[in-house]
Amino acid sequence: MNTHRRFPRIAVPAALLLGSALALSACAATTPGTSTAPTNDTLVYASGDAEPTCLDPHVGGNYPQSLLASQFLEQLVSQDKNGDIKPWLAKAWTTSPDGLTWTFTVADNVKFSDGTPLDAAAVVRNIEHVKDPETKSSTGYLALAKVEKATATDTNTVTLNLSQPDSALLESLSQPWLAIESPAGLARSQDENCQAPIGTGAFVVDSWKRQDSVQLSRNPHYTTGNGEAALAKISWRFIPDSATRIAALRSGDVQIIDNAQPDTIASSAASDDIKHLDAPRPGSVNRIEFNSSRGPLADERVREALVRGVDVNAGIKTLFFGTATRSYSPLSSVEKLGYSEPKLFDTDVAAAKKLLDDAGWVPGTDGIREKDGQKLTLAFPVSTNQSIPAEQSLFEQIQQQAKGLGIAITITPLDLSSWYEALGKNEYDLVSAPYTKVGPDVLRILYHSAGITPAPSGYFANHAQVNLPALDDLLTRAAETGDQTERASLYEQAQKTILEGYYILPLYDQQNHFLYSGKLKGVGEVNSVGNPLLRGVSFAG
Amino acid sequence: MWAGARRVALRIGGAILVLWAAATVTFFAVRLIPGDPAQAFLGGPGSQASAEALARVRAENGFDLPLWQQYLGYLGRLLRGDLGTSYSLHAPVADVVGEQLLGTLELALWSLVIAWIIALGLALWSVAGGRVAAHVAAGIEMTAAVLPHFWLGSVLILLFATGLGWFPAIATPDARGIILPALTLAIPLAGFLAQLLREALQEAAAQPFVLTARARGESRVGVFARHTLRHAAGPAIGLTGWAFGSLMSGAVVVETIFARPGLGRTLVSAVQVRDVPLVIGLTLVAAAAYLVVSVLSDLAERALNPALRVSRDALVERALEAETPAAPGTFSTPGAFGTSGTSEPSGIFEQPETSGTEPRA
Amino acid sequence: MSSLRRSARHIPQALAALVLLLLVIAAVFPGLFAPGDPLAINPADGFQPPNTTHPFGTDGSGRDLYTRVIHGTGPSLLIGLGATALGIGLATVLGFVAGLGPRWLDFGTSRVIEVMLAFPGLVLALLVMVISGPGAFGATVAVGLATAPGYARIIRGRVREIAGSGFVEAARVQGRGRMRILTRHILPGTARSLASLATLGLGQAIVWVCALSFLGLGVAPPAAEWGALLNDGRQFIATFWWLTFFPGLFIVLTAVSATVLGRGLAKTTRSVS
Repeated sequence: MNTHRRFPRIAVPAALLLGSALALSACAATTPGTSTAPTNDTLVYASGDAEPTCLDPHVGGNYPQSLLASQFLEQLVSQDKNGDIKPWLAKAWTTSPDGLTWTFTVADNVKFSDGTPLDAAAVVRNIEHVKDPETKSSTGYLALAKVEKATATDTNTVTLNLSQPDSALLESLSQPWLAIESPAGLARSQDENCQAPIGTGAFVVDSWKRQDSVQLSRNPHYTTGNGEAALAKISWRFIPDSATRIAALRSGDVQIIDNAQPDTIASSAASDDIKHLDAPRPGSVNRIEFNSSRGPLADERVREALVRGVDVNAGIKTLFFGTATRSYSPLSSVEKLGYSEPKLFDTDVAAAKKLLDDAGWVPGTDGIREKDGQKLTLAFPVSTNQSIPAEQSLFEQIQQQAKGLGIAITITPLDLSSWYEALGKNEYDLVSAPYTKVGPDVLRILYHSAGITPAPSGYFANHAQVNLPALDDLLTRAAETGDQTERASLYEQAQKTILEGYYILPLYDQQNHFLYSGKLKGVGEVNSVGNPLLRGVSFAG
Repeated sequence: MWAGARRVALRIGGAILVLWAAATVTFFAVRLIPGDPAQAFLGGPGSQASAEALARVRAENGFDLPLWQQYLGYLGRLLRGDLGTSYSLHAPVADVVGEQLLGTLELALWSLVIAWIIALGLALWSVAGGRVAAHVAAGIEMTAAVLPHFWLGSVLILLFATGLGWFPAIATPDARGIILPALTLAIPLAGFLAQLLREALQEAAAQPFVLTARARGESRVGVFARHTLRHAAGPAIGLTGWAFGSLMSGAVVVETIFARPGLGRTLVSAVQVRDVPLVIGLTLVAAAAYLVVSVLSDLAERALNPALRVSRDALVERALEAETPAAPGTFSTPGAFGTSGTSEPSGIFEQPETSGTEPRA
Repeated sequence: MSSLRRSARHIPQALAALVLLLLVIAAVFPGLFAPGDPLAINPADGFQPPNTTHPFGTDGSGRDLYTRVIHGTGPSLLIGLGATALGIGLATVLGFVAGLGPRWLDFGTSRVIEVMLAFPGLVLALLVMVISGPGAFGATVAVGLATAPGYARIIRGRVREIAGSGFVEAARVQGRGRMRILTRHILPGTARSLASLATLGLGQAIVWVCALSFLGLGVAPPAAEWGALLNDGRQFIATFWWLTFFPGLFIVLTAVSATVLGRGLAKTTRSVS
């Protein structure tokens, strides 16, 4: 079939070379490129993420919401490619010596797309909205946990009073889940505001047809960037099937796709028609967490045996075609304070087996190890919504290699609700869960013992169930210190503790690959959480 | 006269019974799925809803009541025509269904039309083309009938969207977007219909009137079109109700692959987020559609060939031979005749009724 | 008709029977055809196109696809047969109750069948799979339940037809007992139909499991069930064709063979009765 010839199979070595080339194109500036004149063009964006149930990222607060909201909402601050915080809707800020009072000055002459002005009262209204239990915010709510009160001291000045110092406050405020919306919009019923939130962004929401698309159009009054966007409209399509997404991009039905699969990234690299944008998510790395609260993995030796007895590098190379780089850190590679310790993860099957012997697990008749009549079996519920096929294949490789060590892993693919249910009931030994948050403070959410106690909904973030008072102390101090050097050192110690205790098996960054038509220019600007911003994008002549 | 009225009454009563049973089964089955409906209401278990919010939602929606009370309450609202509010979409179920129904109906109708065209084409070809053509057609039909939808859809996209660029890979506002999805559903269905048609045609071709027409000097194809086909189409049309039902289910795969809005896709996500009212609402709509189309195809079958009045048993017999593993992934049921269940008296151990001599059709 | 032509007509059926026989042997003794381990990985050797070492190529983990397809025969046929048996078993009970019982029972049972027919098979299968969790057992039950009403319809009709036929009437006039009529006439009469239905249903059930896999509700990894293999390979359809081609070939081959054989059986049934 000629279609096969058009998209040749990429051999693995070639893909590796490709990987390094991709890494170069990975980062992007936060400031928009040269401004382009407005056109009548419509861009079709194909999203493979779940369709949001609410377009207001204050409500709930997940990654698919942020991707879309970043086109029409903006935050107080942004982050440049070096990870430094830059002004956005706030033009300046100061903090008191005790770190408990923050003062933000709102940018001048910014208007929401409904014509109302952006002022201090509007910012206060947004913070109150996120903190209001009625809003049912989770991501934004957690990020504002230490903010006790927000007051508009004058038209342009907002004062935040904190319960404890928060070294992550600016990073938190750069996230789309804390975007600033028009108070007039928020005054509507939640169902109404969910349909079309009103912001200051380069585009506005026109309509939303469920299971199909959200239609956006250019905001003619946009001023915070380099003026009006070039595109007249964006049709934001929901296309759940990855094979269809890439087909639609190749046939020209759409111009940008997200959640691009590794094999299609590799095969697209051969042609100039399709370009690649790699925007790894900040916060946590993609890892497998070992539930240290129960069963065999409560024993550190068994955790270490599992880590050292399986080799994931070869699998990552083949399955990800060089689009993912192995990580040895709890934090994403975009986090400046990430700390890696590769030597902990050197594969040594003999040492792994010895560790298991020492821990009292001896091989049974079927090859699976036993101790006190118990088999060494581990439950691994996998969310099919969150783990891409390549990752699921990697898990199967781990399963197969673990069998060689005498460890039986049961992989159960589950839909999101069933997966959360399994976690909530503590019916897991291994789990892989994404978590995106700007800054190293994500470690506190994921590894502080406070994260073990489930919320009323059953949700908890510390899946490894790490319960170390010393680590808690490090994370709390790091989150409160105003001294950057001390902060870096505390986070390094914390990461060392997590890695050396074998609580996780780091794999690679949370993958966030986009493919786009070679006809587009200006693609590459991303915000602090890796959402591409389309305000500077246009069709080449 | 009275018998006719009784038939109609029985049929309507039967339909209501079917809908009630479908709602009841779904209501209790969805409760067996692990997951808390109050959490589904607040955006799923990952949303970290507060204890107060959960308690309020439980109280507002009666989740804390005994199950039988919840059931009676639901049934009561259903009787008043209220399908309830979707937990996950926070919109009336009736609105959601209304929004998604058209896309699925459009897809199903196009698929039916295309399937019939392909099936007739194959049948005509195997009649006009002689022995070899008949064998090739038979092979094509059998293979087509067992092609999994998701594979077929991907291949069609590869060929006609990325390869030749004739049709878009995804649903578009213009009519071109419906071609590939409809073909994906139609090809396996056509394979199934064609097999059924062939059996009926062979039977019809052996009828005396066909020989007579041929003796009068009518052409082979002419006889086929004017006599044989008309004679044979009845049973296949009778199956259209079944086919429609299977298309509604098969639409799930196609809607996902081609990113079309529709009931199937909504249903899968509704089950995944434990959206009880939406699952029941969609089930009811699918069941109602099945019932309506069954009646229509029944009527069409009779109208087309009132004289034939094939007995249901003969139909069964014929279908048994023609029966194939029906369209793949269409969630079809072999020999599930579109016509609704007969309500004639039965019972071999009873005295045969003197009045019940009306031919079964 | 000459005996030569008569036997020529049976060639397709003979071939179909042979294919199914081979598949059954492969299901019971996969090692005969593929001695390797279907789960053995070799990450460095992933995504190899068909070659002399790997006749069907390899998947992303370097597992040999030929070995996986052969070893997948067992689970695939087992789910297919299990689901068919469940569907037909359930259908036989319903069909007999409806076909032989008094009028009210027939009405009631017919309504049950009607409800099952009107109830979207997909909803049923989805519910069963989500409640039971992924796995061969759930898939068998889901497909069995979803296909049962169609069979029930056919069986009910068949029972009725035989019950109303001349020889049963004659037997009744002669004063034969119910049980005797049931065991001597109705059971043998329907058994042949059931046999051909079972053959036909097998292919359908296998194809059903494919659809479940597509929805993420098939068997749990790393099992090499055909539907799961086909679905795993689908995202690579444009790049690594062999991942879908070979599992698909086996599915179609099985289903078509079963169809050919089933239709042959049905024809024989008719000429015998």
